[in-house]
Amino acid sequence: MRFLPLVWAGLWRRPLRSILTAICIVIAFVLLGLLEGVNAGFARAIANAHRDFLVTNTRVRGGAPMPISAMAEIQSLPGVKEVAPRAYFMGRDRDPSLKSSIVAIATYPELFFQMLPGLRVTPAALEALRADRAGVLATPALLDARGWKVGDRITVQSMTAKIDGSTDWTFDIVGTFDTPLANAPAYFGVINYAYYDGYRASDRGTAEMFYVHIADPNRAVAMSAAIDRIFANSSHETRTRSQQARAELQAKQMGDVEFFTDAIMVAVLFTLAFLTANTLRQALHERAREFAVLKATGYSGVRVLSLAYAEALLLCLPPAALGLLIARLLAPLAKADIGAVVVSPRVAAAGLICAACLALLGAALPARSLARMPIAAALGKG
Amino acid sequence: MSLPSQAAALTANGLRHVPQRLGGSLVVVVGIAGVVAVLIPVLAMYLGFRATLRGDGRDDRAIVLSRAAEDESESSLSRDAVAVVANAPGVRRDASGEPLVSAEVILPAPVARKRDHSDVSVTMRGVGAQYFALRPELRLIAGRMFRPGNQELVVGAAARAQFEGLDIGNQVRLQDGDWTVVGVFAGGNGSRESELITDATTAMAAYKLDSFNSMTVALSSPGALAPLRERLAADARLFVVVRSEPEYLEGAASGVNRLLRLVTYAIGSIMALGALFAALNSMYAAVASRATEVATLRAIGFAAPAVAIALLAEALLLALAGAALGVALAYAGFNGVTISTLGGALFDSQLVYSLSVSVPLVAGTIGLACALGLAGGLLPAIRASRASIAEGLHEK
Repeated sequence: MRFLPLVWAGLWRRPLRSILTAICIVIAFVLLGLLEGVNAGFARAIANAHRDFLVTNTRVRGGAPMPISAMAEIQSLPGVKEVAPRAYFMGRDRDPSLKSSIVAIATYPELFFQMLPGLRVTPAALEALRADRAGVLATPALLDARGWKVGDRITVQSMTAKIDGSTDWTFDIVGTFDTPLANAPAYFGVINYAYYDGYRASDRGTAEMFYVHIADPNRAVAMSAAIDRIFANSSHETRTRSQQARAELQAKQMGDVEFFTDAIMVAVLFTLAFLTANTLRQALHERAREFAVLKATGYSGVRVLSLAYAEALLLCLPPAALGLLIARLLAPLAKADIGAVVVSPRVAAAGLICAACLALLGAALPARSLARMPIAAALGKG
Repeated sequence: MSLPSQAAALTANGLRHVPQRLGGSLVVVVGIAGVVAVLIPVLAMYLGFRATLRGDGRDDRAIVLSRAAEDESESSLSRDAVAVVANAPGVRRDASGEPLVSAEVILPAPVARKRDHSDVSVTMRGVGAQYFALRPELRLIAGRMFRPGNQELVVGAAARAQFEGLDIGNQVRLQDGDWTVVGVFAGGNGSRESELITDATTAMAAYKLDSFNSMTVALSSPGALAPLRERLAADARLFVVVRSEPEYLEGAASGVNRLLRLVTYAIGSIMALGALFAALNSMYAAVASRATEVATLRAIGFAAPAVAIALLAEALLLALAGAALGVALAYAGFNGVTISTLGGALFDSQLVYSLSVSVPLVAGTIGLACALGLAGGLLPAIRASRASIAEGLHEK
């Protein structure tokens, strides 16, 4: 006899109950998918961060920036491959209705793009930036957001005054670069440190951050300490951390995200387990007699049990999959605010395993009592 | 029997039989309890955050920022601008004739969170001598005030409770060496208690800054804001905007605020929807399992509406039981818990706030639970009251 049609028919005996239960499962898994997606987003940001990539800041944030000469000292440490400076350019559109700031990293572009994992730039764009001191490379997202295009000359108002007293900075957009690893679209530009530093009125000859690429990722902690030791007790003490340590820190700063998402997931799963178990209990109990008939016609106990479990799986898995799919479709909507919701295949797999456990656990008790029930007693039921 | 007494008798009968249908009834209770237990802490977090941000806004205080700056960290005010604003008409003066203003500078101070020892930063605010006069809601509760010229800090009570190393006598490593904690201040419902304060001039000297971030001024009356705003806008020496404090706070930390709101409403509505279907499911099951009973009752003269009302009442009472359970869980787990997240005056500084399972919050979620119970019971109740008596009697 055919197995699947029998399972299918069992599920549709009480269509309303099956459908309502399925809807609950879909909804629960939308939520579980999204929450697990948030966790996975943070975890991915940490995992993607490189350990061989260090960032040196001033020890006291907000303190005076570090002299650019410190770069040479860092470079001289054995095990350091490259060092690039970063100064931060922040400005606003001259149109006051565009409120968000425009941010650019002033650095040595060639070194920067060579060192920084997760940025992709064409040699032509890099060459164009080298050729034009006042050039800027921007992410496509930034160009879209501002309505700019490659070839435009833009003027940005900055809080940093120029040596001539003006706060208007002019840049040529000479190309774009991509951030394929980022969770959310990035809105920033890369400009020549020489141009920015050459024209700014204050803090000349300084950087507020150094990017350091080291040869051996396993020595990240020791190298960080070694760099900080160079500047200990100087006027510009530093604090160096690997990119990975920074990503972890960032996730923690947000608040206790994981605690909250985990607590909610536990509550949702518990509630759902209760609901599914109850539905399955009802569904299997009221058909005790049918199962007895199957047994009387020669079905083995195992076969009947597997029918019950198959029905439970069929009730739980497809709705769970649908819920995870919806979560995946919804995830991009949250991107602008949360930045990192990744409903990856791994999240989906974890969700489906969860759903399967839910089904098997829910079916276990009623199925056991069915299997144990003497045929005669069950036939006499209801 | 009148309709109400019929309905009451049927409800009592239905409730008596709940133990026989324990599984189905518990689904409603547990489903609703789950929603309430999740929703309360999430909402408490959002409301606590928002209330703390908007905390102590008073419309006789105004915040002055440089033009185009949306918040303090982006703003920059020169000493000259500060002097001009302080002497503008409409600014309240104290008994000795000094203008009641505080020009402030905000800087990040690295600290470790007590709970997980993670490195975070809090806002260190360099303030003017009139800070406490300007903010009567704040007061010194331990130690003494900082002395200008010394690298001394007075810490907010909330910050002290949440972060390590902020007790009186502790040293905090900042620019130019160690800064000593000499006092603790508390009061107000706002974000200030998450901060450390010191003398503005001392902080600016240590950090080699020559401009302030913002300025708080006391207004002679709330009505003085508009003329002051016009006057400052017309002054060619200045490049500033004035906002009343509530107006300024409304716009502050909008990013984190939006995030929390999104998370709260997304989670809340998804869970509520799930619970609605769970309630529908079990009430339908309750109706189905009692088809014969309902038909019998109607055959002996109970009115159809009474049957429907009794079923609705049962759903409502189960939902209420669930809500009570959920509130109890949330209260036990989260009431009074103090947390810190991003949201301070600097883009990455922490805001400390507590989750309060307040009466309006509990009332609101209980209301939602009742609505869910009623909505879940409505369709099954209608179905039960409409079902044919003859068919119901024949069903096994």
